[in-house]
Amino acid sequence: MLRLGIKSLLAHKVRFALTASTIIIGVAFVVAAFVTADSLRSGFDELAEDINTGTDYTVRGELSFGDITEAVAPAVPADLVDDIAAVEGVEIAAGGLFVDGVIPVDGNGEAVTTFGPPTAGSNWLEDESLSQFYLIDGRWPVGVGEFAIDVTTYGDDSYDFELGGTYLVVTPTGPREFTLTGTAQFGFPENAGVGAIFSLFDTPTAQEVLGYPGEFNQIAARAEAGADIDEVRSRIEAVLPDGVEVITADDAVEEFSDATETFIGPFQTILLVFAFIVLFVSTFIISNTFNIVLGQRVRELSLLRAVGATPQQVRRSVLTESAIIGVVASVVGLGLGMLGALGLKALFNTLGASLPEGSLPLTLRTVAWAVVVGVGFTVVASLVPAIKASRITPVAGLAEGAGSDEGASLGWKRLASGGLLLAIGLVLTGLGLFADFDGATPQLSTLGAGAAITFVAVSILSPLVARSVVSLLARPLAWIMPISGRLARANAARNPRRTSATAVALTIGLALVTMVSIVGQSLKVSFVDRFASAINADFVVSVNTQAGLPKTLSSDIRAAGIGTPVGFDFDLVQIEIDGDNSQPATTVIETTLTAARISDLDAVVNLDVSQGSLEGFDPGTGLLIHSDVAADEGLAPGDSVDLTFVSGDRVTATVAATFEGTAFWSNWIIDSALYEQVATSAFDDIVLVRAAIDDPEAARAAIDGVMADYPQAQLEDRQEFQDSVESNLNTVLVLVNVFLGFALLIALVGIVNTLTLSVFERIREIGLLRAVGMTRRQMRRMIRWEAAAVALYGAVVGVVLGGMFGIATAVAIPDDIIDTVSIPAAQLVIFLVVSVVFGLIAALFPAFRASRMNVLDAIADE
Amino acid sequence: MSVAAPPTHAAAQAVAATKIYGSGDTAVRALDAIDVSFEQGRFTAIMGPSGSGKSTLMHCMAGLDRVTDGQVLIGETDLSSLSERDLTLLRRDNVGFVFQAYNLIPTLNAIENIMLPMDLAGSKGDTAWIDEVVGATGLGDRLKHRPSELSGGQQQRVAVARALAGKPQVIFADEPTGNVDLNTGAEILGFIRNAVDEMGQTVVMVTHDAVAASFADRVVFLVDGKIVDELADPTPERIRAHMNQLGA
Repeated sequence: MLRLGIKSLLAHKVRFALTASTIIIGVAFVVAAFVTADSLRSGFDELAEDINTGTDYTVRGELSFGDITEAVAPAVPADLVDDIAAVEGVEIAAGGLFVDGVIPVDGNGEAVTTFGPPTAGSNWLEDESLSQFYLIDGRWPVGVGEFAIDVTTYGDDSYDFELGGTYLVVTPTGPREFTLTGTAQFGFPENAGVGAIFSLFDTPTAQEVLGYPGEFNQIAARAEAGADIDEVRSRIEAVLPDGVEVITADDAVEEFSDATETFIGPFQTILLVFAFIVLFVSTFIISNTFNIVLGQRVRELSLLRAVGATPQQVRRSVLTESAIIGVVASVVGLGLGMLGALGLKALFNTLGASLPEGSLPLTLRTVAWAVVVGVGFTVVASLVPAIKASRITPVAGLAEGAGSDEGASLGWKRLASGGLLLAIGLVLTGLGLFADFDGATPQLSTLGAGAAITFVAVSILSPLVARSVVSLLARPLAWIMPISGRLARANAARNPRRTSATAVALTIGLALVTMVSIVGQSLKVSFVDRFASAINADFVVSVNTQAGLPKTLSSDIRAAGIGTPVGFDFDLVQIEIDGDNSQPATTVIETTLTAARISDLDAVVNLDVSQGSLEGFDPGTGLLIHSDVAADEGLAPGDSVDLTFVSGDRVTATVAATFEGTAFWSNWIIDSALYEQVATSAFDDIVLVRAAIDDPEAARAAIDGVMADYPQAQLEDRQEFQDSVESNLNTVLVLVNVFLGFALLIALVGIVNTLTLSVFERIREIGLLRAVGMTRRQMRRMIRWEAAAVALYGAVVGVVLGGMFGIATAVAIPDDIIDTVSIPAAQLVIFLVVSVVFGLIAALFPAFRASRMNVLDAIADE
Repeated sequence: MSVAAPPTHAAAQAVAATKIYGSGDTAVRALDAIDVSFEQGRFTAIMGPSGSGKSTLMHCMAGLDRVTDGQVLIGETDLSSLSERDLTLLRRDNVGFVFQAYNLIPTLNAIENIMLPMDLAGSKGDTAWIDEVVGATGLGDRLKHRPSELSGGQQQRVAVARALAGKPQVIFADEPTGNVDLNTGAEILGFIRNAVDEMGQTVVMVTHDAVAASFADRVVFLVDGKIVDELADPTPERIRAHMNQLGA
């Protein structure tokens, strides 16, 4: 029976390839997800180990909560260096600074920026293995007025730097000019700093320009050869003051891995979700293909049964056949996935991510997943067809019309089971959307399971309505093309089960795309509405790098008398709220705090104060809260809460007012005067400007003048800013749709497969049509429009389903994110048109085959 | 070889028509320089043992297949000069077909099947003529039924009606009664006979059944790709006698 399975596969290579291709794409997705993530992990791990070589200990300020980043690194006193160097077993210790947001400007006035990796300022050390900065060319900078840059930026042809030249460097304390004395390499040569950009100074200069006078933000130390690492560690700990901690190189490497995992993990998960969608869709295609093929092989299978094959043997032969497809698909998918991983890394690097170099590690886990997923999904998809095949009786082949399952019963059983599943699916989806969950994972899993079950239910119920809906949708065909159109319509409607199974892949793909479009559109519309009503500023200054804009920018604009600038800074904060009579316990919330100059807030935003007033706001203790949050937490003007900042500072603040307006700021706002006392950052995240100059062109020119010192900043007027935020959102939506496009690709393959098999099945009919005078062109047209009708059916069901999901999701998303549900009608119509085009494309090959079919072979058989 | 077509009143004719399948040692000469002419308004039966080439002759004459050598004409048109597309249009407009089975498109009802060639051509056809043909089928209120809802005899009458409806130069029928019982067969052959007598149609029918062939005006006997004999005004007995003579 195994040989029979293999022979049957080899006899139909095209069908085999098409069936396998759907699973290949799914497996490739899985493999690409794992391999890319693994490659990133190993690259970053290697980097972490390299940069910690030669440094056994890092001493740094402790944060009360949250993670230390380059932008948030508390200071440690400089004299601690000597204390640590004096500890028994410590060979050497040196103070270091590492501050993000230091931007060199090249000879052409172009700022050196990145998308993500830090643009850091640091100090070089005599002991290069302790600092991990190695001099490559020239000499180390000495004194105020000299700096070195990393050799990668120096060697980058798109920037103009020469040793000995004088360049502007934007630092947290403002822009200054420095002479370039040398180039340096961070870590080991092969790492090239993973895209980070470094400006290096000698230690006193670094302390001054980076804003840490007499301080460092880390101290590196190395143990004497042979010393016990942990013992020395405890001794160092003993000399540290409160709020300062020591970690070993191993801790540092682990911290680094944990930090990188926070973006590698989700990245891997997202790719796996797309992989699952593709595989889920493939299952329908494969199941359908097996159903049709086995239907056509009824004669052969019943002959097998007649000569003594048991039902089990028949079933096994079908399952074997599908397992072989699964294995082949897994192997090919594995190869394709490796290529995909290469492509993904190249894509991200082109987008400016500067991922570490490194091999593409193919782990046993990846291979196992590929095989399990490839074989598993294929075999599961063929289970029902296999059981059906084993029920074929030895005399079935003798019956008239054997091989076609047209007009198969569409009874109450289908309605009942489909209805039940639909109910379960919708309930789960509803729960996923509206119920309270403990974290995102269980919520998204419930939502995903609900959607998957709903799709299965739709695929079961679809045959009940397919005939009438397809006939209705395809009615125009019969008007436009009298005979080809009428036959296309009739063919699309003649076998509702097959039509449904073929269309369901498109339904799922399109439902997801539609849902994303509706949510995205609602998000955009909500944002636009909110933005228009919440922002009064004439100009917005923003920046691409993570570090933000030096606070000096804001004061420079104010000093130049151009208008009223308000810088906004976002930071983590812990808020303790005392209980009241009804709920005595104290609640602690960790959330994002916004700091801005409250007295000028009215000039740039419309906060829409609902309770209390901004009059007489006390910058030192005042707090503003969004009215929804105030209601949730039972707070009103006059109430006090305790704020704990990442620096560990604690402040008691009093609610001065509640507000309704939302845009980019968070629900809790304090004055920058208060924030500056406790801040760990010298940067604003965004600066809004209300111009005092009436002429917009003149105002822009004036701000541009100030910004000459801040080449990393970008200036936009209100409309431009709104447009660029919207276009960022569009980019994300397009990216999601591109990935979902793979599901549509699978749907395309499904239509090709079904139609090719249907054409084969209708060989006599095609022969007859040709004999009585149907031209090849009419034949191709008939088949193309049959595919278009099936595709349109799948698309309409998908858009309706996706529309319901999308609206429900948009409603379920909290009002401060989406408050207006908007349906992109034109876009949905385009989806339908594109689906019809998809159908027409999918039919090209089957239509060609049908039109080339030899008339005599078709009619003269037997 | 190019032979000038002789002047004729034939609806269809073959001139030195030769059909060879395969090449070299395995070549099979299915038709061996056949000359035959089918006159207008006559009902001709082609008979012969299995493998005699009778189906091949019919396919080549009907423009479903091409001869290797020689000429086939439908009316004045030399089929060998036609492109694939023109050949298709000729079948649509000038030739009618009745096959042994699978004559009808299952997704179209009876009247739609009858109108199929006209619909393919995008023409209405000769309405009065079509009414006459449709009336002759005696299907009455069953015209809106799908083929699966019709009896075997009704299906074949629809097939004959389709072949007639376009007023073709000639109708080719391949064992039109091969799949039905005797009574139904007689009913179908009567319908065809009627089309020739009352409607002036030209019919060429391939059959191996002497009774069926006896409905024709003339029987042509084929053996090994050659016409070996013919018989006018046949009866079943005379046909059988001829067949036996041929040693089939």
